[in-house]
Amino acid sequence: MLTVLLVATVGLGVTLKWRQSRPQRDIPHEVVEPERLGADSLGEEATLLQYSTELCARCPGVHRTLAAVADARPGVRHLDIDLTHRPDIAKHFHVMQTPTTLILDSDGIVQTRFGGVPNREVLELELTRLTGETANV
Amino acid sequence: MSEQAVAHKAPQGIDPRGPRFAAGITSLLLLIDVLLGLTGLSTAQDASGAWALPAATLAERILDPAFLLLLVIALLFLWGVLAPRTAPWGVLYRKLVQPRLAKPTELEDPRPPRFAQGVGLFVAALGLILQLAGVPWALPIAAAAAFMAAFLNAVFGLCLGCELYLVLQRFGLIGRKTAVTA
Repeated sequence: MLTVLLVATVGLGVTLKWRQSRPQRDIPHEVVEPERLGADSLGEEATLLQYSTELCARCPGVHRTLAAVADARPGVRHLDIDLTHRPDIAKHFHVMQTPTTLILDSDGIVQTRFGGVPNREVLELELTRLTGETANV
Repeated sequence: MSEQAVAHKAPQGIDPRGPRFAAGITSLLLLIDVLLGLTGLSTAQDASGAWALPAATLAERILDPAFLLLLVIALLFLWGVLAPRTAPWGVLYRKLVQPRLAKPTELEDPRPPRFAQGVGLFVAALGLILQLAGVPWALPIAAAAAFMAAFLNAVFGLCLGCELYLVLQRFGLIGRKTAVTA
């Protein structure tokens, strides 16, 4: 009985961890309007759109990672939206966990979605794919 | 370029390894409690296969070792909610463990772990109340649920509390009182 509990818990942890670092690509076509999120504009090449809440242990770390990635690439902008008092946005984008990160292309179309803590290398690859430049990871 | 579209005032950060250390101890205590529950009054049956718990007196339900241990764990959760700075495992971490480790590379907002303590308190209290009401299996199942959350936090660093917070918020149960300012 205890063994079952332990195995189930470890299995759940490994599955959740694995799913978190994987990007999702089959996303319904959607153009994000920055004004609705309280931002003035999106990045010229791509936008890393992060959804956070006040009560989120992993969000500050992801914020730093995304900020560093965006800083290293011209035309890429990082936006961190606090959903704590914006359940309407959470509902619209079906955000069930924080952090959730969306990668938008130059037209503001959602291309990739990460639930949880994104893997940095995968993130860089997705950006490279989007912006069409040669890999410089 | 990076910016915080909606800025919020964050309280002073804490070492994120502290709550994970505490979650490790808590998960060990909860695992012991599940074991006590499985071998104790909560799941006991008499010779005819009837549950022993509904037939037990209130005093017997309370004096069940699994009940007493879960009560202690629940009080520790309550302590973590009311005064996280003085909670025993946090103090133990800062006194004994932290001085032996390297400085934390990043600090964490203390509110998520505190919210998670509240979730733990809720689950533990539910198990205790159902045991008092004479519901068989309720206590070990509640302890097992709390164990899974604490273990995932300690070993994998997964924060179920903050995800639960967002789900509750989507359903409009919390966080709506503050006016939308954006």
